[in-house]
Amino acid sequence: MAESYANDPEWANITPIELDDGSESGAMPLATIAYPTEYLEATSYLRAVMAANEMSERALKLTKDVISMNPAHYTVWIYRAKILLALDKDILEELNWLNGVSLKYLKNYQIWHHRQVLISSKTHFPTMPPKEPDFLMEMFAQDSKNYHVWTYRHWLVRHFKLWDSPRELEDVEALIKADVRNNSAWNHRYMLRFGPRDDVPDAGMVNAGNADISPEEKGRLPVVDEDSVDAELKYAQEQILRAPENRSSWWYARGVLRAAGRGLGEWEEFVGRFVDGNVVKSSHAVEWLADVYGEGEKGKAVEMLTMLKEKYDPIRKNYWDYRIQQLGEVA
Amino acid sequence: MPPIIAGRHKRKVRFPAANLQPPNIISTPAPAQQRQSQQKRPGNKYPSPLKPAKSGNPSNPPRMASPQEPRPGIPALFTQPPPIRDPLVTETIELQDATLEKCLDFLKGLHISQKGSFNASGVPALQRDDHIAYLYDSLEDYPEGFVAMDASRPWMVYWALAGLTLLGEDPTRFRERVLGTLRPMQNPTGGFGGGHGQISHLAGSYAAVLSLALVGGEDAFSLVDREAMWRWLGRLKQADGGFSVTEGGEEDVRGAYCAATIISLLDLPLALPHDAKKAREAGFETLTDGLAEYLSRCQSFEGGISGSPGVEAHGAYAFCALACLSMLGPPEETIPRHMNIPLLLSWLSARQYAPEGGFSGRTNKLVDGCYSHWVGGCWPLLQSALDGKPQPSGTPSTTVGNLYSREGLDRYILGCCQSPRGGLRDKPGKSPDSYHTCYVLTGLSATQHHHYRTTSSITSSEKFASAFSWHSSPVRGEDNVYDKADRLVAFHPLYVIPHQAAANMRLWCEAQPVAT
Repeated sequence: MAESYANDPEWANITPIELDDGSESGAMPLATIAYPTEYLEATSYLRAVMAANEMSERALKLTKDVISMNPAHYTVWIYRAKILLALDKDILEELNWLNGVSLKYLKNYQIWHHRQVLISSKTHFPTMPPKEPDFLMEMFAQDSKNYHVWTYRHWLVRHFKLWDSPRELEDVEALIKADVRNNSAWNHRYMLRFGPRDDVPDAGMVNAGNADISPEEKGRLPVVDEDSVDAELKYAQEQILRAPENRSSWWYARGVLRAAGRGLGEWEEFVGRFVDGNVVKSSHAVEWLADVYGEGEKGKAVEMLTMLKEKYDPIRKNYWDYRIQQLGEVA
Repeated sequence: MPPIIAGRHKRKVRFPAANLQPPNIISTPAPAQQRQSQQKRPGNKYPSPLKPAKSGNPSNPPRMASPQEPRPGIPALFTQPPPIRDPLVTETIELQDATLEKCLDFLKGLHISQKGSFNASGVPALQRDDHIAYLYDSLEDYPEGFVAMDASRPWMVYWALAGLTLLGEDPTRFRERVLGTLRPMQNPTGGFGGGHGQISHLAGSYAAVLSLALVGGEDAFSLVDREAMWRWLGRLKQADGGFSVTEGGEEDVRGAYCAATIISLLDLPLALPHDAKKAREAGFETLTDGLAEYLSRCQSFEGGISGSPGVEAHGAYAFCALACLSMLGPPEETIPRHMNIPLLLSWLSARQYAPEGGFSGRTNKLVDGCYSHWVGGCWPLLQSALDGKPQPSGTPSTTVGNLYSREGLDRYILGCCQSPRGGLRDKPGKSPDSYHTCYVLTGLSATQHHHYRTTSSITSSEKFASAFSWHSSPVRGEDNVYDKADRLVAFHPLYVIPHQAAANMRLWCEAQPVAT
């Protein structure tokens, strides 16, 4: 902003609302910021147009100006979305501009909600804008575990019913290929394969949030496509072989078996390959065996948990002790 | 004694602008400056603090005071890399290795910047006066580079006052200044925004209400327009049982926790206000209907809890969800009814890493001091849920005990998170900020206390009886690795302020019911 609002004829009919920092109470306000003059002025005009709920081109320009100085100002984003929709602006143009802002401020999450508000307009977007996945992959190239971007991508899947879209799975596989420890990508894969579809409310696992169903049943599918389950288990095994001490792939496999209502026991042979006497290649395999043995051979289960406690994961000693004690109580 | 900033004397805070970076888990803002230095640079894939260290690089000489031998009193668990290492190197491993490398000197008590005396356990003393001075400073003026914090000023107030309180300072001396600061942020339509003229936000309202509770007194309690707050909460209530954080804003588990905190501390009516349109259409009758079910849907297949249904499990949201469930009813009932406990326990326990000792927020992410509270704060709630019904007396009931390593967390906090010029931080190599200072200290305090409930509550209301039945007693024992002088004040495990501060606000509000 080179020119001030006060000198701009376009803004002549607006009386800005000055910042009230509370100092009139006589007490010195806390955690004050030495705002740049331009910011103070722009936000004082923002307060004025928001108070009048003005939906105008000049207000839209003002929101962009404030965002350029402080993209973390959540109020201005919400106001901007309202104006864009009220004035029926070109939303694709807005998205293009947002892409640049998003890449510049990677941790900002107001931007992602703003994007969601715009794209959820069915009149503008009966289907997903085709370039969304490319842009999201560009974001993931900067930070492949960005929580806000993954939250947004999950929303996209729900909103446009993309569970079976080949592109979703392709992207997830590319990210897991690049870093098999990208747990965010694993979570997305689980939701594509086993998450609730559109006939039930969204949830991290099926069967969740219904007071009549025990949390024990969370994640168990009512109807299981065994071929898909087998393919996912095979995929998980391949990824485990690449990096056996990677929690993400082991816990994905547990999630798959849980979804299918199948026990951990069917993997006993595979898992045993990582626990060979004194040569242990994966603490997760030891934990897996403890769970398998816990069903009957409690002595062996205790042996596994003791290995974790003493050697392979001793920072969690109290937890392993609790697990050992639980076995005793059940027995 | 730390410097006391009084009168109208203003001074600049001393930390540089780019550093005040709370991971925006629960805070609303994301400072604009951050991350700009992390844009793609050719040949430098990582931001410098995380750049994987290369051994034997002459431009990067080791900064240790002495060779590798750790100080006496430190178990090998906290000085050795984990026993199993996969050969496959990916970005996750590179970042993890770099973090480990940075932490090891601090864990061994060998880093040149570590101040003060080391005790027999090889743990450095809490630099109490430095942290107090840092937090007093953090309540004063910020240079213009901090404009990105403009939507988070209630947080700045809360983090500093909470941290100071933990350190034994008296926050009530700030009462007038807190009232003056927060008054213009309250909107006549209910709730507090991040600043004057900003729309009301649940996170900002949470921080404002807790700040008022910290300074206490009738003037503070009566500042909140509770009827308008109640009506506003009704408009935020969503058809799936959760809360959006602002009108027109996103819905997440922060919203649920902040709303439950505000409702229970301020004794707001539970009945839905007339204009709670979405909630009424969904068939709800109260502000809390459907809330626990919403949280239940946020448990992921890993066992942890995500910010909204279907997303990755995350430590900060786990605390928000468990604390919210523990307000909605006795945790031994609400948590097992809505969470798969074995999955949750396993995931939560896996957040603690060795040798660092600290917690990570997600699977395959790095330790960060702020999770000392977000993850650490889950443990007393889960342990209490496992302990079952509280005992009538004031003595701690028999207990499953403590299911994580207090020693590990204490070593990480005191060894790795103390910044040499005051304030606490995410990890070595990061600058301190008031967000981390507050939540690292909250985590330290939680390791130093048993949190338990009794059958008597300070409130006679049935709904939140359990939430107001918590007590704390100091952990005594030979195995504490911190010194007596480093004990902090106990906080209420749900409200993250002293027990008495929570009780005072609740009781005052009960005595002045909101007219509906």
